[in-house]
Amino acid sequence: MTAPLLSIRNLRTWFYTEAGVARAVDGVSFDIGAGETLGLVGESGSGKSVTALSILRLIQPPGRIESGSVIEFEGKDIVTLGDDEIRDIRGNRISMIFQEPMSALNPVFTVGDQVAEVARVHAGMSRRDAWDRAVEMLALTGMPDAESRAKQYPHQLSGGMRQRVLIAMALMMKPALVIADEPTTALDVTIQAQILDLLVDLQKKIGTSILMITHDLGVIAETASRVIVMYAGEVVEQAEVDELFAKPQHPYTEGLMHSMPHIGHDQERLNVIPGTVPAPTEWPAGCRFRDRCPYSWDRCESEHPPLYQIGTDHVSRCHLAVEPERRNHPHPPVVVEAGVAAA
Amino acid sequence: MPWQTQDFAASGPTPVRESPLALAVRRILRKPSSRVAFFVLGVIVLVGLLAPLLAPYNPAAMPDIVRLKDLPPSLAHPFGTDPYSRDVLSRVIYGARLSLMIGVLATIVSLTLGVAYGAIAGYAGGILDAVMMRVLDAFLSIPRLLLLIGVLVAWPRLSIGALVVFLGLTGWFGLSRIVRGQVLALKHAEFVTAAQALGASRRRILWRHLLPNIVSPIVVAATLGVAHVIVLEAGLSYLGIGVPKPLASWGNIIQDGSDQVATLWWMSLFPGLFMVLTVMTLNILAESLSDVYERRR
Repeated sequence: MTAPLLSIRNLRTWFYTEAGVARAVDGVSFDIGAGETLGLVGESGSGKSVTALSILRLIQPPGRIESGSVIEFEGKDIVTLGDDEIRDIRGNRISMIFQEPMSALNPVFTVGDQVAEVARVHAGMSRRDAWDRAVEMLALTGMPDAESRAKQYPHQLSGGMRQRVLIAMALMMKPALVIADEPTTALDVTIQAQILDLLVDLQKKIGTSILMITHDLGVIAETASRVIVMYAGEVVEQAEVDELFAKPQHPYTEGLMHSMPHIGHDQERLNVIPGTVPAPTEWPAGCRFRDRCPYSWDRCESEHPPLYQIGTDHVSRCHLAVEPERRNHPHPPVVVEAGVAAA
Repeated sequence: MPWQTQDFAASGPTPVRESPLALAVRRILRKPSSRVAFFVLGVIVLVGLLAPLLAPYNPAAMPDIVRLKDLPPSLAHPFGTDPYSRDVLSRVIYGARLSLMIGVLATIVSLTLGVAYGAIAGYAGGILDAVMMRVLDAFLSIPRLLLLIGVLVAWPRLSIGALVVFLGLTGWFGLSRIVRGQVLALKHAEFVTAAQALGASRRRILWRHLLPNIVSPIVVAATLGVAHVIVLEAGLSYLGIGVPKPLASWGNIIQDGSDQVATLWWMSLFPGLFMVLTVMTLNILAESLSDVYERRR
């Protein structure tokens, strides 16, 4: 990989809540190369979305990106940029596609208006030019009859069409990086496939990088070339897609794969990973996954695992990397009764 | 429902475009009571606007202060005459003009202040919001009528312009509360984050993304505000500290006949009737507007 487009080092985004300091993202590092699609997986509360919002510096108080965190993008450190400079990047060089297209659109403006606004803000285009550009962009996202659809309000469109509008907004300025935060979760399965194809297709046309955030390994398999698995505010495993699916190293990744339903397997119940992500205000010392892990032993309690190098581009935050024989003795996980799921 | 979502695959004719405002107006007028209110209010507003054309006499003219005074309603003077021989109908017509104008202008003043204050407090949040709201509490704790009476007694002979300003200055507290609450509720909406993610500035988000979404409650509050100001103005004029005489406002006309309410009944009945109709229709419209708004949520 050549020089990365985005390089995140030791990102820590903490929330100072009344219940304590929630370390939602706690020392995350990764790179995204130009034109690459990087998948970011993890269950609710693992810190995926907070990572995404941190990249655009959209963290609202009481949340804060801690000093020492570095988000380097096109030679600038986003963490220390001034308000005007970061606004210039948002929607222009880095843009975001949100999960729920209905609530991410302003209900009182036509969708064409909202797509056009991006060009008006960043390119200073006239109302007319921006509108024409918006219609063009909507057509590019496969919006049928873009000209007249542009004049409609969000409530008049179907979910799939709304997501196309969000994609048009995100790609309007041909950004270097698009962050797609669960872009298909709110859609029907059939529409999901269409939207994913569209994203991949447009990525080829525009040459943008995509950070694909999802809890759906299927989406990752279809779009990403490299995957990062997050758990409890940390990266727990990182690998090429094929490698990860073939040889998952971290027990959490293993669990995620086991919990995917398989067509053809006659199963009454889906496999689940027992328990939930611990509360971000009280990550356990040692390994944060140990109470849900079938392999955990005393070392996991005393020593916080580092990212062990497994292969050339494969790391895993699990002591099994150095004590692989432990894998032969699984036991039922301890599972915390009072495991509180964090949002 | 006129806006059923269409499936992506469906290629039927695209539904007609209709702005939320047009939709709201159409929905309001669907109710018979608000249609009547709309019509009645429209007539009163038209009467006020066209006062010079409609009034049979000059509202200030005192043609014969001895023989033409205190006349009961007749064909020549449908609403009778007052103790100065002025035609009450003409005065009520001009009164409509003045009372409505004061109501609307004062509300514009309080709307501007209230929206700006509430929007800034709600959007800024934190300490600024807390301070601004405590200041507002202090203002709210003083009864508006008392405040106005105090001011107007301290400064007698205020011009109408000054009266409008004072009515406006004392009328924005409640409104700014509403605006602040709405902004507060909306500012973490996902479309606001989305707008931020696309690079919109704080100012742009506040004025372009947030405020257009809270127009409905603001319009409801403003409509009620106009009605309130009209009643206040009448009350102040009745006390002799509102609109300076001999100008005709509804309150002034009632005041002119207040010495002899029992005998000169037409002097309080007709302006009172107009005032009640105006206030009532404004309230009916405000209520159906807020119905439409509630239902949409």
